[in-house]
Amino acid sequence: MNSQTKSQFIAVASITSELSAVMVVAKEISLAAANAKAIAFRAGDKAKGFQPITDFINELAKETIELVTNINVYALLLYRLTVNEYRRTAAYNRFEQVAKLAVGARYADSMQEPISTARTIMQDCQRQFKRDVTQLLGQLEAVMHHARAARVIAANSRIEASQAGEYLQSLQAVAESVDKAAHTIHDNVQRCRIALSIYRNS
Amino acid sequence: MKMTKIYEGAHQWIMFGRDENKPDNIIDSNQYIVRTANKCLLLEPGGTELFAPMMAAVLHHAPVEQITDLFASHQDPDVISSLGLWDQALSNAKLHAPALWEGYIRHFGCESIQYVPIPDNGETIKIESVELQIIPAHYLHSPCGFHVYDPQAKILMCGSVGSAFEAPGAPVFVERFDVHVEKMRYYHQRMMPSNQAKRAWVDRVRNLDIDILAPQHGRMFKGDDVKRFLDWFDSLQVGTGI
Repeated sequence: MNSQTKSQFIAVASITSELSAVMVVAKEISLAAANAKAIAFRAGDKAKGFQPITDFINELAKETIELVTNINVYALLLYRLTVNEYRRTAAYNRFEQVAKLAVGARYADSMQEPISTARTIMQDCQRQFKRDVTQLLGQLEAVMHHARAARVIAANSRIEASQAGEYLQSLQAVAESVDKAAHTIHDNVQRCRIALSIYRNS
Repeated sequence: MKMTKIYEGAHQWIMFGRDENKPDNIIDSNQYIVRTANKCLLLEPGGTELFAPMMAAVLHHAPVEQITDLFASHQDPDVISSLGLWDQALSNAKLHAPALWEGYIRHFGCESIQYVPIPDNGETIKIESVELQIIPAHYLHSPCGFHVYDPQAKILMCGSVGSAFEAPGAPVFVERFDVHVEKMRYYHQRMMPSNQAKRAWVDRVRNLDIDILAPQHGRMFKGDDVKRFLDWFDSLQVGTGI
């Protein structure tokens, strides 16, 4: 296995690993939203501005979970494609080796068709991988967008929390946890994007 | 890859082995082809590392499109781990291999090749006009294995039975049986688990008319050495690894 294939395997495997962490964090946001909703309910008028925000946080968490679930399915397909590309490339290289070793053999020419077929399939796999990576990067961008939105919500939450009297500390803690979660999601997804970006369609 | 024609009649048998470019850390193995006018059966295709030299050697005898059948005596990687590569090279081929091992052998990659499962009691396969008997050889050493007998050529491809490990470049036929015995003893005692299975195989094979015993490793036996081998194996205590 050459170093490019190795790094391709690592890049694809790392997506699943990074995204499972994102999934945990997104679930934490969802929990924080439920918690915030309960606090805002208790705070009544003092946290009136906070109540729609909690719905928004919850919605964002749900969408992120859904996006990550879809991306994980896609990442699995990408992994299978990588395995297939590896097998096809290995076969093509072996077939080329056969052609070299078979020089002078009576039926050496009959190897040309399998070589040509293997080359076409290998190139198709490579193109498909690039196309799929480009699409996956688009999906990851959507998660990044959610993370950015969550940070804006966290900032708004802090402002609303400051007017919530004795509930200030509880609501600020919610805002902090959303902000922290958004940071984590952003960083993990960014690492996925960096790992994959070298394989995208130019 | 050394090529030795071991039978020439209406069809041919060719033995391949002693690949001088083989990596040192993998065992040497023998491959065989049965070549008819328009078809070619490849017996014990070998491991992945052997694919390129083996395919190149076969191209001296048959074009790719006429390699229509493969046979694997059992599931070991030195027998058939090259399957995933043959699978991509051959567009219209069958693999005759034990039914018991189908789910295992498919791990090596078998998408375009048709897997033809061999039942436990063996069968007959036909390559054009050549009829080959698939002889059960269970527990020798694999729990499910088969050998190939060609009554016309009087050759028994006997898989692991009769195997020995030789220095690179060793002759392809046994020259002094008494000397060769010591190269086989440990392998047979350690790898063959059952005296009962061994005896059943010897009894069955004694009824066949055999000129050449062709194992998967080491040298082939011909003439009187065939009977010498059967007598020696019959009296050998196997399953000594316990």
